[in-house]
Amino acid sequence: MKIAVCIKQVPTREWQPRLNDTKTWIRDQDASYEMNEPDAYALEEGLRLKEKHGGEVVVCSAGPARAAQVLREALARGADRAIHVEDEQIGAADAFVVTEALAAAMREEQFDLVLTGLQSDDQGFAQTGVILAERLGMPHATIIMEVQAADGRLRVKRELEGGWFQWIAMSLPAVLTIQSGINQLRYATLKGIMAAKKKEIRKVAAPAGLSARQRILKLDFPEKGKKTQMIAGGPEEAARELVRRLREEARAL
Amino acid sequence: MTSTVERETLDVDVLIVGGGPAGLSAALKLSQLQKRTGGEPLSIAVLEKARETGAHMMSGAVLDVSALKELVPDFLDRQAPLASEVHEDHIYFLTPGGKLRFPITPAPFRNHGNYIISLNRFVKWLSEQVEAEGIDIFSGFAGREVLYDGDRVIGVRTGDRGIDKHGQPRDNFEPGVDIHAKVTIFADGVRGNLTKELQRRFQLGAGREPQSFAIGIKELWEVPAGRIRPGTVIHTMGYPLNTEEFGGGFVYAMPDNRVFVGFVSGLDYVDPMFDPHVAFQRFKLHPLVRGIIEGGQMIRYGAKALPEGGWNTIPRPYLDGALIVGDAAGFMNSMRLKGIHLAMRSGMLAADAAFEAVNAGDASAARLKRYETLINASPIRKELYPVRNVHQAFGHGFVAGFLYAGIAMVTNGWWFDRMTGHAGQDRIQTIARYYTRRGRQVPEGATQAVKPDRQVTFDKLTNVHYSGTRHDEDQPVHLLVHTEVCESICGPEYNYPCQRFCPANVYEIVTEAVGNRLQINASNCVHCKTCDIMDPYQVITWVPPEGGGGPQYDGM
Amino acid sequence: MILVIAEQKNGTLNRASWETIAIAQQMAGGQPVKVAIPGGAVGPVAQELAAAKVAEVVRIEHEALEPYTPDGFTLALSAVIGQLAPQYVLLPHTYQTRDFVPKLAARMGRALVTDCTAFRPEGGALAFARPMFQGKLVAQVVPEGDAPHFVTFQIGAARADAVVKGDAPAAVTTVPVTVARAAIRQQPEAPFQEAKQAVDLSQAERIVAVGRGIKSQENLELARKVAAAFGAELAASRPICDAGWLPMERQIGSSGQTVAPKLYVALGISGAIQHLVGMKGSRTIVAINKDAEAPIFEVADYGIAGDLFEIAPALIAELGK
Repeated sequence: MKIAVCIKQVPTREWQPRLNDTKTWIRDQDASYEMNEPDAYALEEGLRLKEKHGGEVVVCSAGPARAAQVLREALARGADRAIHVEDEQIGAADAFVVTEALAAAMREEQFDLVLTGLQSDDQGFAQTGVILAERLGMPHATIIMEVQAADGRLRVKRELEGGWFQWIAMSLPAVLTIQSGINQLRYATLKGIMAAKKKEIRKVAAPAGLSARQRILKLDFPEKGKKTQMIAGGPEEAARELVRRLREEARAL
Repeated sequence: MTSTVERETLDVDVLIVGGGPAGLSAALKLSQLQKRTGGEPLSIAVLEKARETGAHMMSGAVLDVSALKELVPDFLDRQAPLASEVHEDHIYFLTPGGKLRFPITPAPFRNHGNYIISLNRFVKWLSEQVEAEGIDIFSGFAGREVLYDGDRVIGVRTGDRGIDKHGQPRDNFEPGVDIHAKVTIFADGVRGNLTKELQRRFQLGAGREPQSFAIGIKELWEVPAGRIRPGTVIHTMGYPLNTEEFGGGFVYAMPDNRVFVGFVSGLDYVDPMFDPHVAFQRFKLHPLVRGIIEGGQMIRYGAKALPEGGWNTIPRPYLDGALIVGDAAGFMNSMRLKGIHLAMRSGMLAADAAFEAVNAGDASAARLKRYETLINASPIRKELYPVRNVHQAFGHGFVAGFLYAGIAMVTNGWWFDRMTGHAGQDRIQTIARYYTRRGRQVPEGATQAVKPDRQVTFDKLTNVHYSGTRHDEDQPVHLLVHTEVCESICGPEYNYPCQRFCPANVYEIVTEAVGNRLQINASNCVHCKTCDIMDPYQVITWVPPEGGGGPQYDGM
Repeated sequence: MILVIAEQKNGTLNRASWETIAIAQQMAGGQPVKVAIPGGAVGPVAQELAAAKVAEVVRIEHEALEPYTPDGFTLALSAVIGQLAPQYVLLPHTYQTRDFVPKLAARMGRALVTDCTAFRPEGGALAFARPMFQGKLVAQVVPEGDAPHFVTFQIGAARADAVVKGDAPAAVTTVPVTVARAAIRQQPEAPFQEAKQAVDLSQAERIVAVGRGIKSQENLELARKVAAAFGAELAASRPICDAGWLPMERQIGSSGQTVAPKLYVALGISGAIQHLVGMKGSRTIVAINKDAEAPIFEVADYGIAGDLFEIAPALIAELGK
């Protein structure tokens, strides 16, 4: 099975956001970066499928030069080769642009299966996998908790709300977005890291003239310092007043 | 269990344990030597416990570029991240509400030609230079134990990964790897866990003074515009420390209204209720500092021990199959508050010695002794020898220390050959001795504790959040503590000093119906090593947690 | 015109649809609002929706639309939306819409802004607020390109009871669609519920969390009773789980779960930043703590500074009334 896994480089989860002067994006140079965690689960699932069914795993990422870091990490964990759609602006682009660029680079590869994480830790569109399926002309399923593959067909377990699940069958080729926690991530090994150096990272330019479908007007920190209503009085009185306000004002009960 | 698993092995010519300025300089120098002489390329590997190089790097820092100039002469063209050239130097003696400015800046404090840097960024850059030479940097791998053949060091075993908190392997268990090397260069930093083991096993400190340490606590701030000119360097002495305590504060101003604010406290304090984090908060509340940072935003926090003992405390830095460089060996000038350039230079000299040894096919201590010879002929000795007694002199009190520092500068170190010092933890006194017997009131919390205002001052737990520290929660505690000592001895005698000397709220005494219980919040650990140094009964051993865990010192 | 696409399964309306209708009504400013309801047999649900004050409820009915598939929905809805030509298409941000709306928007070549919490006029157009960087930042986003613009709203972005009801039921019409079975590539099986191995606090509607103020493990019983009285899941701050009083899976905060329930009641939690990052997105936060200066009160909507051992029993009694 020829498997593609799309991964994104995002700021680390510990990073404290800083904004650029126009407040339209973060100060990229201040952040440290890592592989988007949901994508790491997609990669792990791809590697496990390859171990079971044979074939190859190709990691694909659209991002600036520094995104090569996560591709190398994926190669160290066991991916066979990488495609890097390198563009200095594309890290901040919307899902329309990113999928257009990825699809252009991936189409000729004729993948059997394309995996992505559920969504990214940065912009969090939760669109990339699904739009990619549309652009590649493949069927898709999202929020997948288990993947079974046999005879050119897939049977996948999709998570629904509230503890419900559903099995979905479809033919390959297909696109799946993988739910975090579907598997346990492996560690990169020393041998893997050394082997990764010899693996190919194919650099591709993003197609010219891609136009975004959304624009960030402004970024802000979430409002903090809610107006806290302090409730005074003895225990019974305070309890009564709290329950009243939760029922009538907040409608939380 | 770990003894029976099958391990990968890797053979290299030179293994460097620790990807800081010393280790990376050694790696870079090795590849330069290789290029110069031609022949079979050496295989070189660098181990770094952080998830990525630089993540655990924290320092003041003002960089003396002398070593960098030799190692990477075109560092400016290669865009080394030097935040700002130093334009102004100020030294103040602080009183609780005021300050006395030193009319002249003493020579060691003069920073003309030096640069304010983020060590985190600088090391990231340095690692890029190293990787560009084709050298493998294995980040996320901690050296867990030294491998020997008899008494010869033959390499290092990395830590196992994927072990749960009960010590059982998880599905993704990945045993540590044995890396064998002809020469192993230990660059595991201040109080490095492997260097500590070597020092004990081979008595490397014999005939030397015991090392003394300090702890530096630092925050990165973004302050309102116009508060301080970029390139300004401020050092302070005095408040909030008293005359029996050694240390001082610093403020380094960078472009974009970014400022480093930090405080260094000697870990040779006597008051068992002293808390370095409190001293740092007091420092920030002083009008001099508050006037700069108030209304700004704290962005990052970090803490790290530093070796302050100087020349006379440096252990024998060579042994069969191994060399010790940088902070691990104590190459730091506490007079000038600088060590990065010495760390780099020691790494470069170790590379010289290792390169020769590998080519000669002889990595015996006798041959590797050349490293020591090189150090003695190098600017390292020239810089450290004259001030070799300064720190010990401060051990005799602030006034004596300051006088001595002055004399050392004027006479270029003509004084007794060696002044005797004490290991830091020796000086801490019991509650009884420091307080009760002198009729002093034991404070409720730490001495001079500050209630955090969450604007300028913070509690440790909040600060830890800003250190970006992350560890996999499901792993064994990496602080090995003989807890039976806590309740029976250390508690009554010192009132649980671990709660205070740890700057990251790792140690917490929880009072329960049955008595006090030490709770170890291991995942808060910022890897500063203070506990391993400072605990009075030496019952805390810091071992590396699973590789990749630890702080994320972006911009620090 | 603003078109809301409501969500139903086997004739049961997803309540989040009401929230989206409420937002559409607020956004409309004189434009008509229409509600479309796709599915296999949606007559009764359409009638239910007609209670809202909207111009029209549109049934998009086809046997190939039940059960839901992304291919089927994309085919049917792209045709209907093309025909109705709305300015905006609004949907609740559910697992289902996440599955098909990106495809639908891409098929039509139109903008899609997901997971929004609010809208506001911005120079003649509308800007939508959405979280980014895991909620550390809020972005104001404007869709670009030709209408319609697709926007999905987070559950809880509006209140379902804020929907303006009409004096008389709105007109219900049917737009005929053709969906070729053969064009649907996914074959879904029947949904099933799985016995949960672990509590999933992120799905809880209400959470009562305890901190150090609870003092001893025995006192957890009191917290359990408070949780029961609120119909809430019990959770805790880090020290409680570290002490082993509650399992790790009930820990809220940076090293535990991140939750955003409708109601979060913090009992004896001081509010270390590590805890706050895991719960400050909760809709309504109640803090009960002895120390009136505790940071938890900075994120609380309602606060009682007092002894939880006195207030908790009073609360249980009051909730029982």
